[in-house]
Amino acid sequence: MCTSQKALENRGTLTIRIHRAQPTQKINEAQTKRRKNPFAEKQAANKFLPSIKYKRWIQDYHITASRQDSLLDCLLTIKRTQDPSLTFRYACGHGMCGSDGVIINGQPGLLCKSLVKDHAQSHFPSEASVEAGSFRSTTKSKDERSRSQDFPTGINTEKEQNSLGYIELAPLNGFPVERDLVVNTGPMFQQIRTVNPYLISDRIDHLRPADQHEQIKEHLQTPDQLKEYESYSNCISCGVCEGVCPIYVADDAFIGPAALVGAARFIYDSRDAHSEDRLEAINDSEGIQACQSVRACSRFCPQGIDVGEAIWQLIEKAQS
Amino acid sequence: MNPANLEPKYDAIIIGAGAAGLSAALGFIENSEGLANKPKLLVISKLQALRSHTGSAEGGIAASLSNEEPDNWKWHYYDTVRGGAWLVDQDAAKLLTQNASETVIKLEHSGVAFSRKQDGHISQRNFGGHSSNYGGKPIKRAAYAADRIGHQILTSLWQQCIRKSITIAEEWYVSDLALDIEHKCVEGIVAINTHSGTVQAIQANSVILCTGGAGRLFHTTTNSWDLTADGMSLALRSGLQLEDIEFIQFHPTGLGHTGILLSEAARGEGGVLRNAKGQAFMEEYSPEYKDLAPRDVVTRAIINEINEGRGVKDPTSSNEQADCVWLDLTGINPKTVSEKLPQVEETIRLYSGLDPNSEMIPVKPTAHYMMGGIPTTTDGQVYHWNKGERNVVEGLYAAGECACTGLHGANRLGGNSLLDACFFGYRAGKHAVLNLATLSDRTISNSASELAEITQKRSDYIQQLLNNAVGTQNNSSNEKELSKDNAYSLVNALGKLMEDTVTQSYNESNLQAALVELTNTIIPAAKTLPLHDSSATFNQELTALMEAQNLTLVAQAVLRSSLARKESRGAFQRSDFPKTDNDNFLQHSIIDSGGQMGWQPVHIVDFEPSI
Repeated sequence: MCTSQKALENRGTLTIRIHRAQPTQKINEAQTKRRKNPFAEKQAANKFLPSIKYKRWIQDYHITASRQDSLLDCLLTIKRTQDPSLTFRYACGHGMCGSDGVIINGQPGLLCKSLVKDHAQSHFPSEASVEAGSFRSTTKSKDERSRSQDFPTGINTEKEQNSLGYIELAPLNGFPVERDLVVNTGPMFQQIRTVNPYLISDRIDHLRPADQHEQIKEHLQTPDQLKEYESYSNCISCGVCEGVCPIYVADDAFIGPAALVGAARFIYDSRDAHSEDRLEAINDSEGIQACQSVRACSRFCPQGIDVGEAIWQLIEKAQS
Repeated sequence: MNPANLEPKYDAIIIGAGAAGLSAALGFIENSEGLANKPKLLVISKLQALRSHTGSAEGGIAASLSNEEPDNWKWHYYDTVRGGAWLVDQDAAKLLTQNASETVIKLEHSGVAFSRKQDGHISQRNFGGHSSNYGGKPIKRAAYAADRIGHQILTSLWQQCIRKSITIAEEWYVSDLALDIEHKCVEGIVAINTHSGTVQAIQANSVILCTGGAGRLFHTTTNSWDLTADGMSLALRSGLQLEDIEFIQFHPTGLGHTGILLSEAARGEGGVLRNAKGQAFMEEYSPEYKDLAPRDVVTRAIINEINEGRGVKDPTSSNEQADCVWLDLTGINPKTVSEKLPQVEETIRLYSGLDPNSEMIPVKPTAHYMMGGIPTTTDGQVYHWNKGERNVVEGLYAAGECACTGLHGANRLGGNSLLDACFFGYRAGKHAVLNLATLSDRTISNSASELAEITQKRSDYIQQLLNNAVGTQNNSSNEKELSKDNAYSLVNALGKLMEDTVTQSYNESNLQAALVELTNTIIPAAKTLPLHDSSATFNQELTALMEAQNLTLVAQAVLRSSLARKESRGAFQRSDFPKTDNDNFLQHSIIDSGGQMGWQPVHIVDFEPSI
């Protein structure tokens, strides 16, 4: 099969369903802070900014795409050819910047690292698949029901020979929605800052010689010592782990897996002089003690960091 | 750290929060500690800080640490000048290379997780154009962190800024720079809070532009979507100039048609380029350095192989042209690939579906770096070139890719860009804070009248756009009608035009044709772009619209400068002037928004040109 034939078979119509939202009044920046009102009802997902009215709706887009396209490619196609108002974060387009975390078919991921071929489904996850004997339609005839078996939206299967399928997108859980797929990640960065995420070495003076003619030197660190924390240092603060952590999403107080990875990164860095203090600082009911070892964080980390295991080992270290 | 509201005045504003911007912030703050009144600094970025394009840098940062083999900063100096095809201002290159080791070590002290040798020292690897003993054997000079040096440096700099409590306003877009009426000093900036859509004038005595490059001029690029020449356009629109803007580096190994970077480190670890015949063709073009020749040499070689019919088709794309060559990593130990090139491996597997351990990878030159930019002194001060003199704009600085110190000349060496951003960024910040005392004594403009006028104009323009938003219902599905109708499709069209021009080859008629299309069709369309949504809250299209206008303005400067330089040198190649002309063009081009050209002689200090 020659390249172009293979490539043609890879192209088709893709339907993307997006959970959209737009504020109907101006955002007051002061309201973007997470509320610490102890009497406030804990919402399952603190999805929308309090007292801001939002227009919420679901919008379907149909585009021509290829199986090898990323979802970012698809959304940019929508922006360019159909709807420039569709709003979502993006920057590098190849998984390094961490800006485009969203929920894809119910699970978190990065738009630019998620390919059509790995995510397109035969129906929307939010629509029950019509199996024989499950849901009985009260409006459609038996014939109509069997015809629309795989495509509950009623699209004619014959016409859709080149249908790549359906993908549903929603904003990341656990953060207030600002517009469409853009969420306010401020809380995550605030929490990361609380663990003092910067190297504090007590050897700098020795490495910077008093005599200016001598060369400044680096800390020595062996490859084995580097391995202890290198994985944690690869964190791109994308928020995917927080979006999928049921504790983070439900509880305002938990500082979250991203901040804990940030803490681990320095606790295990042989150059840092404050391992013990750092561990003590996160060893409370808002830190590692809140973790229930659900391990969803590890499952979806785009950088392959075993976040859940990192937190578990911190708990063990704190206990020893 | 990310303030809800910004103040009406700061002592200094840094635009951009990548390696240059954050280094400038640290240079500013660390050198302000001795001053009586603590100066107020604001870093402002249109992105969240950690999303800056610095994070995508992969290969390494160059310095003569001598950790692997004996090295000398003078050899690095020579390599930089030679690699830049002798268009390098040698005073800038000398400063950079003399201070490279200290810069890299300071980054290590800031927390960068460099890859290490068994003895604990920072590892270094081979990189294109880096040699020992003034053009001798290749030398291991690039310090690296797996293949994620950019991410490590960006993260560590950001962490240090947290430590110093530096304020970073995120997702604020700087739409205008205000200089006083005589262009002698800075009044401030106009900034738009993209979260709310509000427009604010911010006064400052000092502004440091660290806005990065302009890869988005081209359809196929390694650059993030946000690299839209914003800072360069701010300078042009304020009556200033761009230097050497025609020199654009195409990185030899972008993955197929995606343009995504496959680091030079892949060749540093043993990767080899092959043509359709399976031949390792770089042996012919550069017997001494082969695949690790400077990037412009490798890119030219690839283009030549393709033009002579030895290119290959990209098996992962529907594109039928044989416009790629192979990158062969199969000879590298798979363990080495996963340890030293994890990002490259992941990119290949995800975006092409190929296995680098057993299959060859299609690669194609991709727009990567702007050697030129806003002209600056070695202290980072922006100047206006007039009548053979540099007239410094008091308080205005630029650093990183958006600036042009003359350091990279006609072609940048790998590993020198991160070094440039960190070293000259810090230096600009330091100079800015130490200079503040003299600026505050100015008698001019606490009235900031230019700033007020520009702010009003911008505010009115945005209001008019929002009021006249056309809505999305009116979109037809006919792509042709839409092509100049929104900012995104316009940038797409511009990118195709620029890329086609470069691919066909630069010559008088191609360049003129492109300039005509740009001036008569694309620029007018950019000026009358509508918005489709009238809500001011997080209106991405509004930002995209202004970015599109910035790109078209700088594209015009690129094409005009390209027409004016009647020679080939480094990354700039013309088929109608294929030779390097040191008699006439050993000079930097200087251009303003009206197309007025000037020429500035290259600073030759230690090395006479040998081409």
